[in-house]
Amino acid sequence: MLEAFEILTTSGIVVWRKHYANPPLSPTLINSLITDVFIEERQSHAPTTYRKDKYVLKWTTAKDAGLVFVAIYQSLVSLSWVDQLLAAVKALYVKHYATSNNSIKLPQLNAREFDTAFEALVRRLDSGSTARRLSLPDSDGASELTPPSSSASVADDEPPPSLPVPQFKRPAAPSPRLASALQDDTGNDATPVPTPDASRPGTPSSRLVTAKLSRRAKQRANAAFNNSGPASSGDESPARAAKTAKKNVKAKRQWDADGMAMEGDDRVLDYSAAPGDADGEAQDLDVEDVDNAKMGSRTGKGQFVLKDLDDELDAILASSKEPTSAPAQTAVDENSGLLGTASTKITGLFRNFVGGKKLTKADLQGPLQQMRQHLIGKNIAPAAADRLCSSVETDLLQQTTASFTSIDATIRTSMAKALTRILTPTSSLDLLRSITSCISGPQARPYVISIVGVNGVGKSTNLSKIAYFLLQNRFRVLVVAADTFRSGAVEQLRVHVRNLTSLSKREDVGYIELFEQGYGKDAATVARDAVTFASANATTEQRFDVVLIDTAGRRHNDTRLMSSLTKFSQLANPDKVFMVGEALVGTDSVAQARNFAKEFVDTKGKLRNNGVGLDGFIVSKCDTVGDMVGTLVSMVHATGIPVVFLGVGQHYGDLRGLNVAWAVDKLMK
Amino acid sequence: MADFEEWLTWTFSPSISAIVVTLLVSLLLPILLHSYLYRQSGAKELATFVLIGPSGAGKTSLLTLFANGATTTTHTSQVPQTAQCQLPLTTRASEDRYRSENDDSARTQPQFHVLDTPGHGKLRHHALSALTDTTKPLKGIVYVVDSAELSSTAGLTEAAEYLHEILLVLQKRHTQGKTAKGPQGVAVLIAANKQDVFTSLPAGIVKTKLEEEMAKVRLTKSKGLLDSGVGSEDDAGADEESNWLGEYGARTFTFAQMEEHGIEVSVVGGNVLPDETGKTVTDDWWAWVGDNL
Ligand SMILES: Nc1nc2c(ncn2[C@@H]2O[C@H](COP(=O)(O)OP(=O)(O)OP(=O)(O)O)[C@@H](O)[C@H]2O)c(=O)[nH]1
Ligand SMILES: [Mg+2]
Repeated sequence: MLEAFEILTTSGIVVWRKHYANPPLSPTLINSLITDVFIEERQSHAPTTYRKDKYVLKWTTAKDAGLVFVAIYQSLVSLSWVDQLLAAVKALYVKHYATSNNSIKLPQLNAREFDTAFEALVRRLDSGSTARRLSLPDSDGASELTPPSSSASVADDEPPPSLPVPQFKRPAAPSPRLASALQDDTGNDATPVPTPDASRPGTPSSRLVTAKLSRRAKQRANAAFNNSGPASSGDESPARAAKTAKKNVKAKRQWDADGMAMEGDDRVLDYSAAPGDADGEAQDLDVEDVDNAKMGSRTGKGQFVLKDLDDELDAILASSKEPTSAPAQTAVDENSGLLGTASTKITGLFRNFVGGKKLTKADLQGPLQQMRQHLIGKNIAPAAADRLCSSVETDLLQQTTASFTSIDATIRTSMAKALTRILTPTSSLDLLRSITSCISGPQARPYVISIVGVNGVGKSTNLSKIAYFLLQNRFRVLVVAADTFRSGAVEQLRVHVRNLTSLSKREDVGYIELFEQGYGKDAATVARDAVTFASANATTEQRFDVVLIDTAGRRHNDTRLMSSLTKFSQLANPDKVFMVGEALVGTDSVAQARNFAKEFVDTKGKLRNNGVGLDGFIVSKCDTVGDMVGTLVSMVHATGIPVVFLGVGQHYGDLRGLNVAWAVDKLMK
Repeated sequence: MADFEEWLTWTFSPSISAIVVTLLVSLLLPILLHSYLYRQSGAKELATFVLIGPSGAGKTSLLTLFANGATTTTHTSQVPQTAQCQLPLTTRASEDRYRSENDDSARTQPQFHVLDTPGHGKLRHHALSALTDTTKPLKGIVYVVDSAELSSTAGLTEAAEYLHEILLVLQKRHTQGKTAKGPQGVAVLIAANKQDVFTSLPAGIVKTKLEEEMAKVRLTKSKGLLDSGVGSEDDAGADEESNWLGEYGARTFTFAQMEEHGIEVSVVGGNVLPDETGKTVTDDWWAWVGDNL
């Protein structure tokens, strides 16, 4: 059965929601969907299913309206109709309520009204358990509907699931509403927004309005779906009040025929008062007109609304049956329409340069293909380039280009954003700070860093660069030769340590020492011994602050050697594991990064560092590739692990942090 | 071709219609151009306040409260969102300060824009570009923190690092803008949100904790590795001193050090969500907005 359904904007505001569970499900479910799928893109967008704890989240997005629709159900049950529900709700919502997502007004929705539509939809699609639970009045939206003028009190009775209080589509600061509670708000007259609004079904005033609206907004599809009215404010001077009264009397007479209850003419809800006196007559006419034309087939308020809703749902469900073919079809139609005549073709070309063009898949295809080639030329792996291009495509599809911006320029900006997002780490690494906090305080212990990578990428070189950097910050460093495999590895480190010792003596900073147990021993045990040795005199002056472990290079497809990494990481339990990769390698970098990352599981079988495995990449030999720094992107793409350091030369000082803007700039050149 | 020549001859002929057309063109063109350009530049831009802070601090909640008067349920933001807000009647704008309490004549509450930015680590470039965007009149920055999170080391570090980054951008903006008629100073409000939560720290502690942590952040940042962008042309002239936040070389960091760079920082507590007595505490934040309009 369905647990919850939410409609939210990409800016994070929940427009409408319904939770069948009581209390409502924790917001962390949807939050982790957003971070994992939409922001960090750990999972591709294609299967729109996300699992978290014991729930399954399915979603769909309405890109140009900036909306995300999420349905949640327990993973134990399988709900086949959820996809259909999502598509239908999206269609319904976008048709009636969506505004452009860059408006300065926050999206609002009359919850009560959408509840009805939603329930009807669920009832249709689901014959199972959810439908029965629908009768329980535990939805937010069904809770007491407050008339706008009395909602000035900010205190909402139900704390977390408080909904946007139904109100006019306008930037409703507390003040004008306060004012409107005291005296009628005139600020609204300027903008009578013909949007669905809060009006209680069944009151005479809303009836009056329904009829009027359905005429006034004929071109808007099926206006009768909303039992609501235009939000022209009820600015009632005494003179006009009489007029309104007269209108109401007139209206009542007609409704008698429908057998409607009409006591309780709720003043507050009567937004239909004409803004100008002259208008009054016209509106009376409107009502008469519509009633005569349409009332014959419709009896009773409830049926009136529901029938239309039913028709509409039918249409929507029918169209969502073929969800894939339908949008494609319209896109093509649009296209042929656009390019149909020569003149529109010319404007199309013109708009291409001047801007203001709505982008279709066909528009994007060519330039994106070029962009993909460009990225691959920068040494980005094809898989990563594809992902970047598709994320740009989803970003731009159905968007309108800004004025004086060509498609190419639009794609470039969007691509730069996508690159920035992929390269920026979720949380930045301040190595010095984490070391300092680790070695100070009551539980002080040495900070353990280990370096892994394939053969010959420069593990030892980068290790000594890090050591040099740490020495300059006056740390005492223990370098561990855990490469007990390749002959000469220990000697190589010894040379580095000797050089660094003389450097540190000259500059009078830090202290460095080598820990080695020769060849042939198990690397994991050596590492553990080294950590124990470093921690032994943790409290004295002779303590070590940082343990740097060099490991044997191994080919990432050598399963035997690779699996020994698991034991190594469990015994040495490093605070940080960095993998060294070369900027030079081409497509191989993706496989390398993946295979290394997956070895670092802890004793409980979970990948360390929150399921990522490694803590960061050090990309070496960046100085040799010029602008072609695409490897950075490929590696991050494959694993979601950030690049933390770049090796940019042969000297000990040639280690840099990654500046994302710099890298993006190089890649877009 | 013949058509074209004919047409050309006509335009230069002394016929009445040609003259009228020329007149019309020459008179209307500037008007049209003006109206086009004027519309482009828009009416007088409203003052803008930017909401910045780590993810989950309550920025979007605050935005809905400012714009609608009531909070909405929110989730992690992916894109920035602007909303138009109006000062509540209970708060006075700075320009109204000398008006009599009883003078209600034509007192319109000023409107302003609030820009909410996503706080997720990967999406902070939105906030940073909003700070350097000179087309909007940036009046102030509301740095929202979750006062309950600050008692954990990770939460404190994240809040301090982000704030450090923001203040450094503002400081650079100020130093670089000095020559031209550059941007004036901006006010920064550190909104210690979620005061309703039992474990939250009061505003005073939030301030000292942040100051202490920022001193550490500043120190390790200055000693950290250079980044790969160093040496590129737009970074030229960036020396150690300009990358140092506040008083150069000082051991301790206080927000008062920012005043020298035209940045006035105040720390005020409050809560966006209603506490157990059903009250949201945002009056002081509104007052700050009113003061800085
Ligand atoms: N207890 C309490 N919770 C709050 C308060 N303000 C916000 N929250 C909650 O904090 C959570 C996060 O709020 P958001 O406004 O979405 O956070 P944000 O700063 O916009 O986060 P990002 O969009 O990810 O940057 C929501 O669940 C809010 O209900 C408060 O004053 N008190
Ligand atoms: Mg947000």
